[in-house]
This record gives sequence, C-alpha cells and structure tokens, in this order.
Amino acid sequence: MAGVRLEGIYKRYPGSDRASVTDVNLDIKDKEFLVLVGPSGCGKSTTLRMIAGLEEISEGKLYIGDRLVNDVAPKDRDIAMVFQSYALYPHMNVYQNMAFGLKLRKFKKADIDKRVREAAKILDIEHLLDRKPKALSGGQRQRVALGRAIVREPQVFLMDEPLSNLDAKLRGQMRAEISKLTKRLETTTIYVTHDQIEAMTMGDRIVVMKDGFIQQTASPEELYNHPVNIFVAGFIGSPSMNFISGTLSEQAGEVHFKATGVDVVVPEGKAAVLRSKGHIGKEVVLGVRPEDLHEEPVFLEASPKTIVTANIEVAENLGHEMYLYLNGIGTESVIARVDGRSTLRDGATVKLAIDMNKAHLFDKETELNIFEN
Amino acid sequence: MSSNDLQKQLEYILNCSVITSNRSLEDMYKFMGPSFENATIEKGQYIEGDQDIWLIKELHADYCEVLEFIQRKLSSTEMQLIAMLIFNRPNLNIEHQYAGMSKQEKQATKLGEWLQSQIAQGTKTGYIPDHLVLANTLYNEMLPILLVADGSSQYKGSYAELDKLLRSFLSEDALLIPLGHDEWLIWGPVTLLKDEEGSELEHEEDETLEDILTNIVHALHDMLASEWLGESQLAITYPAAPAKLMIETVTTLRDSIHIGRKFHPSSNIHLPWNLRLESLLYAIPEPQRQKYLEQSLKRAELFVEPEMLATLDTFFSLDCNVSETAKKLYIHRNTLLYRLDKLKQETGLDVRLFRDAVLVKIILLLYKVTKTH
Repeated sequence: MAGVRLEGIYKRYPGSDRASVTDVNLDIKDKEFLVLVGPSGCGKSTTLRMIAGLEEISEGKLYIGDRLVNDVAPKDRDIAMVFQSYALYPHMNVYQNMAFGLKLRKFKKADIDKRVREAAKILDIEHLLDRKPKALSGGQRQRVALGRAIVREPQVFLMDEPLSNLDAKLRGQMRAEISKLTKRLETTTIYVTHDQIEAMTMGDRIVVMKDGFIQQTASPEELYNHPVNIFVAGFIGSPSMNFISGTLSEQAGEVHFKATGVDVVVPEGKAAVLRSKGHIGKEVVLGVRPEDLHEEPVFLEASPKTIVTANIEVAENLGHEMYLYLNGIGTESVIARVDGRSTLRDGATVKLAIDMNKAHLFDKETELNIFEN
Repeated sequence: MSSNDLQKQLEYILNCSVITSNRSLEDMYKFMGPSFENATIEKGQYIEGDQDIWLIKELHADYCEVLEFIQRKLSSTEMQLIAMLIFNRPNLNIEHQYAGMSKQEKQATKLGEWLQSQIAQGTKTGYIPDHLVLANTLYNEMLPILLVADGSSQYKGSYAELDKLLRSFLSEDALLIPLGHDEWLIWGPVTLLKDEEGSELEHEEDETLEDILTNIVHALHDMLASEWLGESQLAITYPAAPAKLMIETVTTLRDSIHIGRKFHPSSNIHLPWNLRLESLLYAIPEPQRQKYLEQSLKRAELFVEPEMLATLDTFFSLDCNVSETAKKLYIHRNTLLYRLDKLKQETGLDVRLFRDAVLVKIILLLYKVTKTH
C-alpha cells in the first residue's frame, strides 16, 4: 500500500486559454479514503485521470509511494481503476473477467484462482463465477467490476463515479459496501463523485473542487461545520445552506445583522472577530443551515434576539422531519428543517429563532467565511 | 539517398528553405482556405498557400507529414517532378525497414502499407493482392476495429506488445495491422458474437447486434486503458470479410473516428451507426452551416451555456423523457421544466415538440462542429 502525493499539478488542453486543473496540491495518506467532489466540469475527473495516467500532466509532480510516476504508463503504476461505465468483458465469464489482469501479469494459475475466489467471497459473488456479464444484474456487474480491481491488490484504487449507473436503492447499498471493503482491504482509495451524500458518507477526507481549483480539503465534519467559502457551504449539505445578504451594524454594544425582515444579534464571541476584522458597517452574507432555524418554544424563549418571522409557502412533511419553504427572511426563499411532528401548515406565519452560534458570515465581495479565514 | 540528403539537394536547387513537419488536418484545411472545407486530402497532393507550398508526404488518421517549401512559388510541372522524385525513387533499403520484425509483424506491416497506399490513391474498393500472404487467412468474416492511440499519450507501445495483449483479450485468431505510428486496424474473430457452444449469443430481449458490438468495443477500451498505454480512440463496425472489404472498412472506421471526434470530442468510442446525422451535417459546407446557425438562433448564448448544453444532451439521449432526464441530472422535474420553458421563451423552440427537438438537436450538433473550427 502507498500514499499518493500531488505537487503543483496543472492540466492545460491545447487551444484553451484556461487550465482545467490549477495548482492541485494533495498529500493522500496510505490507507486513506479520499473523495474528490464538485459540480460537473470542476476538474475532479481530470485530476483522477492524471493520477491514473490517462491524461498527461501539463505541469507538476505526481508520486505514488515514493516513486515519481509522471512518465510511467497506467499499467505500470500499480493502481486499479473502476470506471463509471464498468464495462465488463462481455465474452468472458465472471471468473475470467477477474482473472484477466493477473493472467497478463503472468501470475501462477493457483495464485490467480486463490485471489479470484477470495475476492468473490468478499463480494458475495462466488455463485456467479461461471456467468457471463449479460446474465448479471446491475449490482452484480458492479461487484464484478470491483472484484476485477481487488484481485490486483494494487497500491491505490481509483474510482470514477462507480455508482452513478445504479438506481437510488442499490447506490445506497453499494456505498456502504465499498466503504466497508476499502476499510477491510486497507487500500488507499481516491473516489470521484458529484454526489455530496456519497462524499460525506464515504470519505475520510473530502476535496471540494470548482473551476479546476481546490476550494477546501477537510474531513466531512469539518467541511460541514467550517466551510471556508460560500461555494463549499452551499455545496455540502442537503437541503443547502440558506444565504441571506445583509449588513452588520453596532447598536448599544451589540453587533446586529440586518436584512429584509431580519434583525438579529450576533453572539459576542463572533462579534469580536467581526469588529477586529473591520466588518462592521459592511455588507455580508449570513449562512444558516436549515436545521439551525428553530420553531420550538424553548429555543424561541432562549434566543429572543435572533427571532425572525416568515410565511410558510410550502410545508413538506417527510415523516421524521418537515421542510418549511419560507419567504420573508431576506429576499430569497429560505428552507427550515423542523420536527416531523410539527403542526405547521402551508400559508401559516411562523416565528423561528436562528442559532447564531452555528451560523456563518461570509464577506460579500470575496465570498470567504469571515470566521474561517 | 536519405530523406535528409534529398531535402538538402532540393533546398540547393530551388534556392528556398525546405522543411518536414507534421500538420493536423485542421491546419491543412486552414492552409487550403475556406473554399476547400470538405476537399479530400491525399498523399502526393500539393497545396499552394499565399507564400508557401506544402507537399503531403504521408497521410495519417489526424495529421499529415508535410514537406514545406518556404516562400517559393513553383509551377505545377515543377511540383509534379518533385513529387515523382520523392515518391517514385527506388528504395534500396526497402527490406531494411522490416529488420528485427517477426514474420507476423512483417506481413502485417506490408499489408498495412498496401492499405495505406490504396487509400491515399483514392481507391474505394478492392481485393487484397495474393502476394500479401496474410490474405489467405482473410476470406472469412471478422470483426473490424480501428484503434488510434491518443495523441496526448506520452507512452509508446510496440507491435508485439499490443498483438500479444489483443490475442489474450480477443482470441488467438485476432489480427493486428499497423497503419501508422499510432493507428492500428484490429480484426477480431466473429466468435466474439457467439457463445461457447457456437450458437448466436442469447440476446437480452432488446439487445441488437449494435449493442453487442458496442459492449465489445467499450470493454476493449477499458482494457487498453488499464493494461496498455492509457487513453485511445476506437471505432467498430459490422463484421466483414477482410480480403474483400478491407479498404471500405478502414475508410468507414476512419471517418467514424474523424467525425466522432469533431462532434463528440469527449467520447473515445465512435460508432458509425450513431453518427449518421453527424456525417450528413458534416458534409454541409462550413458557410452554409454558419448561416443556418445564425438564422436559427434568436439568442445563441443560451445554447452554449454548459448547464443548458448538458441538460439538452441528456434530454435527447433519453428520448426527450422529462422524468428520466431529471433523474439522470439529479435535479427536480420542475427545475428541468423551468429550464426547458426558459429555452422556449428565449429561442422560441420547445424541445418537447418533435419538430423543435429536431431543430435544436441539429443546432447543437452544428454548434459543436463550428465551434471546433
């Protein structure tokens, strides 16, 4: 097993004036599960393909273990890839699909057999070894694709949206299985997805990318609770964080955030930071996660200085929780996540307290989180 | 006399610089000027620019080896004499170039050279001559696949290595014919379309021959990516008898890769049966394409927004099914309807109607190809 190190990696395509990947620096530890996440076109797949050797690196250095591999062919990098399409070899049965890579590397027949059967056992596909891919379900095919990678016992697994062709139920199931599997095999894994739920549930660390730049690299908890900018804050979390544009002002020794329909007091600890960084009197963006808007009487009583009033456009009851789509807080629609047992209904007026201790404030101009930079 | 010596002599006699260069087909068409947009480029042809003359020495899949006469006007008779000198001079070292090759590689190379020269001369059809020994084995139907190693790949592979890999993957009967530095014609056995008992594969209910061929070429692509040199472009077509249909087949496959790369640059697999509309549109001269685009678009910018492009591509690939498209794009159905309404509002084209869908599909394809120009 080995770590992977990217030093100042760039990808430039001929004829394009902008780099597709810009100055990527990452130190992926041995046995780590790292997720690259971001919207379409953010450079996550290009970065993975450069690690795989499928794209030339325009600038920078790539190490697998201690070996510089910029000029090493994909087959010699000791990696195993699982593609989005997981094209199984249609003319070979499951056993042959899994054994092919080992056969090429001239493994002894007995070793091949041992590895294939072990991997099949781990993936619970022992009973499918004689079947051709066309006789398998989507989930079984996905397992075989994983098996083909596992038998190689590579230093690094590279996975590019491996679950995107599966339906929602199977995706959830396979998500957990891949996590378990990589922990068990203790193999360094780099996993690309556009799905933030996959990123949050699978990754030891997550790299959020946008427009070819790394926005933030952190653990799932760190990303969720301490996003460094508006993009990360909005990308991670479902439903997304609410953003309310307003201004900060000082009144009777307290810092107030004011926007359309909003006048709330910022807790003293945060207020001190705002004062010291010179944000009083300036435009900022308040970021509040849907679960940090509270309608419970006990919270309203405890937080009289952070109460806002809003109209409920739609109340979506999911059973265990309810989403309130609100207007009247700032100029955009705001979502609150409240208890599923709430009696609130469409069209009602509701008082909510913002948990300002958990709220974020972003510089309007730079979009950076004032408390995290 | 070596090529270098000949070049020096030409410089001396013509009193101008003569250089050898590799030029992309786009460069060639640019040099020829707009009125030659769809003109055929052939080995031995010369093209007059404003100041220079280019003589095509070798024609490859996506570039030409060119002899450039810098800042020198030459008459057609002079050019014909130069071409005669270059192409018809006796090659005393003709067997020398095969030194170090296995018998198989030597035969395949000779066959490839014959094929290249036939295509360069504009031959559209013809049997392989008897003296190319390989022809004896080529009367049965085989599966033709064209492989072009990606231009960006920095790794170089040998014939022997690729031949061995393909024999392991496809069958011992697979035949590999080199066509240029990075272009290979592969003939796989038709047994790939049958199961082990020799009967036709039990197709899934709606699985067509095209589906099977697509699966084979996808699998080959993935295998080459991880077990060979990385990324490559591939085209496959229907089974044919190589001895009789080699020239037509290569022409079809080359056209597929050329047109596929133009219209779908992010795709690595190009299937002739999926490129019929693209082929038709590509045959329209550039000025007419431009004119049609300008006339069709009330607001061109909306079509080129990445989000709209991705939405429409997915919508068309899923047969204009709104629910499936929303699911595939991970967006709410209403978000998709909003986007489609926005398109209708701004362009007057409602892609939910067949007539408008056809127009938008054509506009998108034309936009892609004119953009790359």
